[in-house]
Amino acid sequence: MTATGIGAPVRRKEDFRFVTGRGRYVDDINRPGQAYAFFVRSPHAHANIRGIDASAALAHPGVLSVLTGDDIAADKVGGLICGWAIFNKDGSPMRAGPHPALAQGKVRYVGDHVAVVIAETLAAARDGAEKVAVDYEVLPAAADIAAARKSGAPQIHEAAPNNAVFDWHLGDKAATDAAFARARHVTKLEIVNNRLAPNPMEPRAAVGEYDFGSDSFTLYTTSQNPHVARLVLSAFIGIAPEHKLRVVAPDVGGGFGSKIFIYAEETVCVWASRKVGRPVKWTCDRTEAFLCDAHGRDHVTHAELAIGDNNRIIGLRVHTDANLGAYLSTFASSVPTYLYAPLLSGQYDIPAIYAQVDAWYTNTAPVDAYRGAGRPEATFVVERLVEVAARELRMDPAEFRRANFVRTFPHQTPVIMAYDAGDYEASLKKAQEMHDVKGFGARKAASAAKGKLRGLGYSAYIEACGIAPSAAVGSLGAGVGLWESAEVRVNPIGTVEILTGSHSHGQGHETTFAQLVSDRLGIPIDNVSIVHGDTDKVQMGMGTYGSRSGAVGMSAIYKALDKIEAKAKKVAAHVLEASETDIEFKDGKFTVKGTDKAADFGTIALNAYIAHKFSGQELEPGLKESAFWDPTNFTFPAGVHICEVEFDPADGVVRIDRWTAVDDFGKVINPLIVEGQVHGGIAQGVGQALYEGAVYDEAGQLVTASYMDYCMPRADNLPSYNVGMTVTPCPSNPLGIKGCGEAGAIAAPPAVINAITDALGHENISMPATPEKVWRAAQGVVPRQAAE
Amino acid sequence: MAKVSMVVNGKPVSGEVEPRTLLVHFLRETLRLTGTHVGCDTSQCGACVVHVDGAAIKSCTTLAVSCEGAHVTTIEGLAQGDRLHPMQEAFRDNHGLQCGFCTPGMIMTAVDMVNRKGNRLDETTIRHELEGNICRCTGYHNIVKAVAAGAANMPAKAAAE
Amino acid sequence: MAMKMQGEVELPASREIVWEKLNDPEVLKACIPGCESLEKTSDTSFQAVAKNKIGPVSATFKGRVELADLDPPNGYRIQGEGDGGIAGFAKGGARVTLAEADAGTRLIYDVEAQVGGKIAQLGARLIDGVAKKLADQFFTNFAAAVAGPAPVAAVEPPADAPQGEKKGFIGRLFGAGKADRE
Repeated sequence: MTATGIGAPVRRKEDFRFVTGRGRYVDDINRPGQAYAFFVRSPHAHANIRGIDASAALAHPGVLSVLTGDDIAADKVGGLICGWAIFNKDGSPMRAGPHPALAQGKVRYVGDHVAVVIAETLAAARDGAEKVAVDYEVLPAAADIAAARKSGAPQIHEAAPNNAVFDWHLGDKAATDAAFARARHVTKLEIVNNRLAPNPMEPRAAVGEYDFGSDSFTLYTTSQNPHVARLVLSAFIGIAPEHKLRVVAPDVGGGFGSKIFIYAEETVCVWASRKVGRPVKWTCDRTEAFLCDAHGRDHVTHAELAIGDNNRIIGLRVHTDANLGAYLSTFASSVPTYLYAPLLSGQYDIPAIYAQVDAWYTNTAPVDAYRGAGRPEATFVVERLVEVAARELRMDPAEFRRANFVRTFPHQTPVIMAYDAGDYEASLKKAQEMHDVKGFGARKAASAAKGKLRGLGYSAYIEACGIAPSAAVGSLGAGVGLWESAEVRVNPIGTVEILTGSHSHGQGHETTFAQLVSDRLGIPIDNVSIVHGDTDKVQMGMGTYGSRSGAVGMSAIYKALDKIEAKAKKVAAHVLEASETDIEFKDGKFTVKGTDKAADFGTIALNAYIAHKFSGQELEPGLKESAFWDPTNFTFPAGVHICEVEFDPADGVVRIDRWTAVDDFGKVINPLIVEGQVHGGIAQGVGQALYEGAVYDEAGQLVTASYMDYCMPRADNLPSYNVGMTVTPCPSNPLGIKGCGEAGAIAAPPAVINAITDALGHENISMPATPEKVWRAAQGVVPRQAAE
Repeated sequence: MAKVSMVVNGKPVSGEVEPRTLLVHFLRETLRLTGTHVGCDTSQCGACVVHVDGAAIKSCTTLAVSCEGAHVTTIEGLAQGDRLHPMQEAFRDNHGLQCGFCTPGMIMTAVDMVNRKGNRLDETTIRHELEGNICRCTGYHNIVKAVAAGAANMPAKAAAE
Repeated sequence: MAMKMQGEVELPASREIVWEKLNDPEVLKACIPGCESLEKTSDTSFQAVAKNKIGPVSATFKGRVELADLDPPNGYRIQGEGDGGIAGFAKGGARVTLAEADAGTRLIYDVEAQVGGKIAQLGARLIDGVAKKLADQFFTNFAAAVAGPAPVAAVEPPADAPQGEKKGFIGRLFGAGKADRE
């Protein structure tokens, strides 16, 4: 390992600009002649629009234009799309209603886009928006699944009778029912997976610009996947063909899934820029983000686990109702289906699994992928079931898990996935040692002596990342292939530019990707730059989500570097006057086998361009290669997290006393960055378990629309984390990488709830486990020492 | 419109603003100092923290005109050319940032913390003091380490107070 | 965001006088906190404009107010809805009952209201407190109106003039804070 190569804890190259305030986020971008957009949003959860009177707004000083759904329809701008087709049990397609970028006749959630006011200044746009008079005919609203599915419920979309989007299933129902029929013990749980607001710290923003001379658009946007945004805006929404639309996603301040999607606001900005003949800028405020960024989770699940002889799990059965909100967001339909049910086997050898998932429209913000996307929901189901089953069987929860671990690979689960590599026992053992599980009894006794309750909870999670083989996801309904692209440009002086379709919004690609190149080509890391986030520079890409940048994005770079090495060897053969088969490349040097002839990488790069040593007929000049990597399988990061909590039954304020995480991410490029990803994931998972919840009242009003009411985890809510690794290399990509971005958010919630319920001695608590809920649940619970 | 003058990062500046213009917008839009960020509407996230007359304030809840004559320091004013302030260096060295959006506010808060509490800061103090700054990426673990390290590397203040 | 509130207040006047004042637009206008205009559009309906602040949201509500179930002098039902534009909306109603009491009349009110939009998003936690404060202001004003001969004049600045004791308390608070800083 070199100081900047694979495995080294390299300090991030991008940090100088961020710590000095020189990052360049979308809201930092201003274009000449720019105007400002402000959206008029529905205050009602469900209403018909009888009319919009914009005359007073148009008369307001500085207001340039007020555009509504009628205008966008007249220009034949298409609606927003859902890119994953799900089929009902009977084979019919899901029932999706239209999703116009500006409401046409009807609004379906609080915050829905009614009109946009464009003005000389943001203040004028805001003031103008106050003067847009909208005549609403207010309709009854269905703010949750229970209300939406009731007979006589308000109908949100004509296309979806009874608000049912789909009824979908996976697995062998008959085999699973048979397993339950012969079970010695069945554990049952009712689970609510709470609705979350993603809250990247940078609110979304967009600047749309139209150039009359070239008849082309540029969109600066806070996107995790600018090429997918361009594809959707071109091919489906029909703003402009791809060669007339450039999408730039510069520095982006976090995403966590919520910046994957193609939303109304950026669509409107780019469309309106031509309409008003001015660049149009929109910056979301935090309350708008709460209202309109796609939310996450929101499942209600009935889950059952069947246990046979020798405490072996023989079946798992779930019925999940998923709230998809008022419209189907870009990947909404995939989250509670193919990103959820295939993970229900967890780390366990379970012969029969059956999942039924019903999805519903409600008068709430659209729900889509949020860090983990489906996998946290599945892990919560599995890890709560396993924990509770162990307690019911009076077994140590760790031993019960051990007894049921998958131990041979590859392992085909009954729900699509073929786990390729892992060692779950190794992670569990290491986590128990690092955590000092043996000392838990003494710690619990010490807590009891102070009148406090203490509990320990495990979470042995697995996820499917590195999405994904294009043919596989295509067969499951995905509208796109999920490969990644890379281009390696070697400059004549031997510096290297890497163009990648992955997108960094905090993950540190400028460092890790450069480490790979530095390692492979034996050149200083400062001679490598990573270019991403601009469709004019990078030809095509699928972007960053689902922990895929390392496993898929770096594999594409690796493949392109293979081609660079092969071409450079040809050049070296001419330069060193040797046979190509005798050229060896190591540590940045080309050598001729058995001789002392050598040339460094820079010399070969220069010779590739000056082309004096070979004829163009023998070899094309230049040193530039590209590659697309389409994975052969998902990757399967897995690990064990242990959470230990302490609380006083008198106030119910849960304090996390210690947290141990042992993860197997395959090969690690930069441990500093990987550990950072684990920390951040855990914090979001703890947020879900203890603090966060997006709450609508029965009328569909979002009552948690600011940081005053939506509890974000602060520094003093969280512990320091004890992070360790085990490594089984991933066999399905050349680097052996599995992915690490979502692990913490997937692992953490059941670890926290298992710890709290361990302390309470009963299972009756739901997320977020706020002090009030914990206090209520702790009434009558007497602190005492551990049973053994 | 009102005229406002102040000293920002050591340079005298002035501009015409609406009376309702917030300091953060004056810094970002008029002076083009875009390192100071806006992450919420309710003064809770702390991405907008700058120093006014030596004390950390949230520039999203401060009117520009109320800073008439004040000395303002933003994240852009912390480093000496290419030489980072010890707190900036510590954030980089401890991987105390990911997306970088909350980072300017975190660093300005951390420097103010050291000014008020001294160079030896324990974890409890740091976590408590960071209550007004939200980070969604790091889980705070490395921020806490960075603040402690940056505090230790900052020059000790004359302990007169 | 639904809100419910009940309460009662003793007024130093007969039920007949209270009833009369409850139906007098000038009295109502003077007593409703923040009311900028109140115009009678029929015997039982009004157009109103009121400016109020709920938590961080300040809004001018334009709307209509209707009186129903009129039962002089025993009470009525008052209901309405106000559109605060970008700030959202408020709608609701109150059952007002007048009963005879030692001091004159006991007015019993039972309010149910809903708010939506920005008010619900940002002011939800505060809405009960604000509603209670607005009701208190209204009845303080109204009690003065029914007691005095010149009702409209009696309702000067209601909102920001706390009772003496309260003022003293706040004054001490500020005083203490200032002293600390020095």
